[in-house]
Amino acid sequence: MKKLLLVEDNEMNRDMLSRRLARRGYEIIIATDGEQGISEAKQQSPDLIIMDMSLPIIDGWEATRQLKQCAETKGIPVLALTAHAMAGERDRALEAGCDDYDTKPVDFTRLLGKIENLIPVSPP
Amino acid sequence: MTPWTNLKNDVNTENSLTETNYRSIVEHAIEGIFQTTPDGHYLLANPALASIYGYASVEELKGNVKEIARQLYVDPARRTEFIRLMKEHDAVWGFESPIYRKDGSVIWISENVRVIRDDADKVLYYEGTVEDITQRKRTEEELRRAKTAAEEASRSKSQFLANMSHELRTPLNAIIGYSELLREEAGDLGQESFVSDLGKIQKAGKHLLELINGVLDIAKIEAGKMEIHLEAFDVAAMLSDVAATVSPVVEKKGNRFEVSAPASLGIMQTDLTKVRQCLFNLLGNAGKFTHEGLIRLEGERITENGVDWLLFRVRDSGVGMTPAQVAKVFEAFTQADASTTRKYGGTGLGLAITKEFSRMIGGDTLVESVLGRGSVFTLRIPAELSAKASQPSPTVTNTQPSVEEITLTSDQPLVLLIDDDVTIHDLIRRFLHKEGFRTVCAQSGMEGIDLARKLQPSIIVLDVMMPTMDGWSVLTRLKGDPEVANIPVVMLTMVDNKEMGFSLGVDDYMLKPIERSGFVSVLRKYCTPQGAPVVLVVEDDAVTRELMRSTLEKEEFIVVDACSGVEGLQKLITTKPAVILLDLMMPEMDGFQFAREVRSRPEWQDIPILVMTAKDITSEDRARLDGHVSRILQKGACSREELLAEISARITRATRITLTEPVTIS
Repeated sequence: MKKLLLVEDNEMNRDMLSRRLARRGYEIIIATDGEQGISEAKQQSPDLIIMDMSLPIIDGWEATRQLKQCAETKGIPVLALTAHAMAGERDRALEAGCDDYDTKPVDFTRLLGKIENLIPVSPP
Repeated sequence: MTPWTNLKNDVNTENSLTETNYRSIVEHAIEGIFQTTPDGHYLLANPALASIYGYASVEELKGNVKEIARQLYVDPARRTEFIRLMKEHDAVWGFESPIYRKDGSVIWISENVRVIRDDADKVLYYEGTVEDITQRKRTEEELRRAKTAAEEASRSKSQFLANMSHELRTPLNAIIGYSELLREEAGDLGQESFVSDLGKIQKAGKHLLELINGVLDIAKIEAGKMEIHLEAFDVAAMLSDVAATVSPVVEKKGNRFEVSAPASLGIMQTDLTKVRQCLFNLLGNAGKFTHEGLIRLEGERITENGVDWLLFRVRDSGVGMTPAQVAKVFEAFTQADASTTRKYGGTGLGLAITKEFSRMIGGDTLVESVLGRGSVFTLRIPAELSAKASQPSPTVTNTQPSVEEITLTSDQPLVLLIDDDVTIHDLIRRFLHKEGFRTVCAQSGMEGIDLARKLQPSIIVLDVMMPTMDGWSVLTRLKGDPEVANIPVVMLTMVDNKEMGFSLGVDDYMLKPIERSGFVSVLRKYCTPQGAPVVLVVEDDAVTRELMRSTLEKEEFIVVDACSGVEGLQKLITTKPAVILLDLMMPEMDGFQFAREVRSRPEWQDIPILVMTAKDITSEDRARLDGHVSRILQKGACSREELLAEISARITRATRITLTEPVTIS
């Protein structure tokens, strides 16, 4: 089972996304701020991180930057989620080291497509 | 010899009745009339002046005010300034100062004054008129406050919208997401009635999201906060991608969807997100208004004057539109008509946004439609949008060559057009040249402000929706800059917000699409003083009037006409012409009386009057016109060239010596 780390501070969004992803057969780990996200990533080595960008303590951009500088976690793909549907926001996310980007509200089908694109096909 | 002294001579030597008339004018005038000495006391004052200053009578005023500088002016330096201006120009017009009334209250006055000298050029006295402009000043102050309030409101609006963007989407996220989740779960549990109801919640949520996105886009465009991001991409791939995304929507009502996206379309460099959104909007729109028909998306690459363009056409065989509907289709918050919204849904914003987006990236969106047959929307985008064009040019120097290549004479009025849309530049430039205006175009607010300072145009035509700095900010800067604040500004925009415009100091407000004759007449209204001279033709015979008009217009004069003396006086109130051409024999008020009336008003005294008459002029007629008119020409005997030469001579003289031109009679 593929393991996804969802870093999201909004309780409803977290609950909804985690339940929907779980229904699709993913194992979900939760973090509610950037700092916790980094430590969970190090401990749990997820296959992918879905990162909200506006987070308390350490925001999503900074958390991604730190993850991408750390040898243990730099190989984990990060999918940025933000409410700002602006081209500039996408550039900012990619600059911080995110591997892809999607906007909220989440188009679930599109998000699933992006997740599948980012998780390397594991050897059978 | 001035007209005034000339008149006084007439009074003394010829006609004592006239003296009574003049005395009556002074006594009963609404404006204050005075003569004062350079050291600041009154030689003459009329009752209106005493009343403006709060004195019961002229005698009381003259008896009390012995030193104007200290007793009247709130700021005694105004009198010094007044005397300095008098020395330099021999006259002041609209000299505005706060003044103490007798009871100590302060009012604002405006003075029109000139100097009277003796033969040795020594100043004898000043004479002129005073108007109480307190009410106007109060209104101006209110406008200034309204402007500040409007700016503040505009700032909070932008901030509010930025917050809204986040605050509205967050709960919607939950509504859409949970309804989707529950729908899936209900499906698993076989709860079919829940599935359909949850589907409705989800659909309504998505619709609300679309509305919010649309409103926010429009708001961002209006606030000049919409950014452009350039990237190079393959056009055919982009079209296939767009087609794949929208095909479920487009094909929903039993429509067939065809796409023509040949690989030969090549690469384009522009804002991908905006092009995609334009196409989504156009295709979504086609799908909405077509039932069991055909929708086609076609791409074409063309070269025009060495520039590559991509044309994207969205054709549908849907309901189509009437010409009246076509005219309004790109307006925000307007669908073809209100019932459309009920029948077809949608925000009514998609096409307005599409139009604005396409313009922001140097293109445009056009439409052709036949009611009942379908519509074709064409998105026309330059293949390459340079980074420079998408940003305001920092200096004027690199845009200098565009400052009029056309060889028009420099006394024609210069119109500065500030609009990010180059197609508008071209359109306006072409038809204004035909109308005798020079034009210079700026693509951004900063460039516009720089050009305004540098070129001091006769008028500025300003768009509202522009990237980086929107029209309101440009307007605020223009009106706050003393160098350019007095240049009239006309808004030309698709945003109907006249109140905002007027509170920020706009002189006129016009909506796109441009209605040519209205546009030109508005420009004429503001450009005439510096531009082509205006000739007022007062003539009761329609044929002669038209003949005069066509003759004069060929020579680039602007003609204002009146068919009687009364109408002539009315026209003078709004337009001060360079010359008046006057017929003598007219109903209502004849030329003799008209000329007298004109000369009785100080602000009209300097307008040369040329009499054109078929009447045999008797010496009595001559005497009646003496001092009032510049020249008498005989209709028929005077050739077209002579007439034009007479007019031209008056105009140059009038502009050279506005106030002290001697009035002679031939």
